[in-house]
Amino acid sequence: MAGAASLRQIAFYGKGGIGKSTTSQNTLAAMSHYFGKNIMIVGCDPKADSTRLILHEKAQDTILSLAAEMGTIEDVEMEQARLWGKGLFDRETPGGWINCTESGGPEPGVGCAGRGVITAINFLEEEGAYDEDGLDFVSYDVLGDVVCGGFAMPIREGKAQEIYIVMSGEMMAMYAANNISKGILKYANTGGVRLAGLICNARMTDKEYDLALELAQRLGTQLIHFVPRNNIVQHAELRRMTVVEYSPYSDQAREYKELARKIVYNDMKIIPTPISMDELEDLLLAFGLEDEVDESQVGKAAHEA
Amino acid sequence: MFVLGFHFPASMGNIIPDELVAEKIAGVDISDVKEIKLLMGTKDKDKEWLSYTNKDTFLFRAMVHYFKEENPDKAQKYMIYMNRYQMSAISKRVDAADDETMKLCHNLDSMEQFRIEVA
Repeated sequence: MAGAASLRQIAFYGKGGIGKSTTSQNTLAAMSHYFGKNIMIVGCDPKADSTRLILHEKAQDTILSLAAEMGTIEDVEMEQARLWGKGLFDRETPGGWINCTESGGPEPGVGCAGRGVITAINFLEEEGAYDEDGLDFVSYDVLGDVVCGGFAMPIREGKAQEIYIVMSGEMMAMYAANNISKGILKYANTGGVRLAGLICNARMTDKEYDLALELAQRLGTQLIHFVPRNNIVQHAELRRMTVVEYSPYSDQAREYKELARKIVYNDMKIIPTPISMDELEDLLLAFGLEDEVDESQVGKAAHEA
Repeated sequence: MFVLGFHFPASMGNIIPDELVAEKIAGVDISDVKEIKLLMGTKDKDKEWLSYTNKDTFLFRAMVHYFKEENPDKAQKYMIYMNRYQMSAISKRVDAADDETMKLCHNLDSMEQFRIEVA
């Protein structure tokens, strides 16, 4: 694959529903608008919602859907699969630009969703999308846990070099963060992928910052930013916009700007040290998110205890 | 690694000693500040003004530094959550003997929004 030596390929991973796509689009919007970075988004989620806030659209045509429509992937044109951002992110607008692609996926219950990721990345490479003049960042937005080789593709083959895990202080989000770290560890030596930090997309639960920080330290990485919950994110989404564009001087835009600044200047990229399930549960107990249960009570219904 | 917005090289690891963070803010001029005022709360809730005047602490210096940075008009400033959590975490270690500061740290650890002014 070609591309400038300075091109950084990053990925946002995390549990489904944690707010990866919202966090990634708002953060990338801030990187582009405030720091002049030129970015290509590669949405790797069958939901195809990784680019809608940048494009002001419901969902763009995915590479897999275009291939199905045209007959084969060879018949798909780059102009169909890759769209330029709207408003602040258009290449004609001063400052950085963002262009957008979505891998898409098969019909529910049919085929392998990860296969779409592989097809999309191969297509973009062959069509020269990574060679776009001035491109600073490629960002992959990847679904859920690393449980399938297809979804691990951006890290497995060294496409994404630095991984940001979006998580919260809830158990399953932390479980997924730890699991993704295991996936990174597996491919760290062959593909050169590194964990670059946790992003806590806060649910505003008790001790959430402390818990996220502790998990980051145990994994050997940093909690790069704590993104507070703010209704303005939803208000912006209703207009299919990022907060950066919807309300650039808002408090939440400042939060995304700070996260963007940290990613732009981040040099901490490590091989993670995942923890065991027991350690994870101990962590939750230590921060009071789970009540300690006597072993004799395990498996008993409430009226029996 | 980022602490209070300062970048520390990755070679320093993921736990930065408090002394190194304190060094970063050592140069901030606090002589023209008598009081830090914090507006705690959101639009949806009752807001409360908090006053903090203990100049002999890490927390005071860190807050004045935060307020003055890129704020030539000295306007009221939103506090980034991560920064204030980090300020509180360090202050609880290095200012532990000061009850007023610990009380403020307790507030800073909450989920409330904060805005800062100085007088």
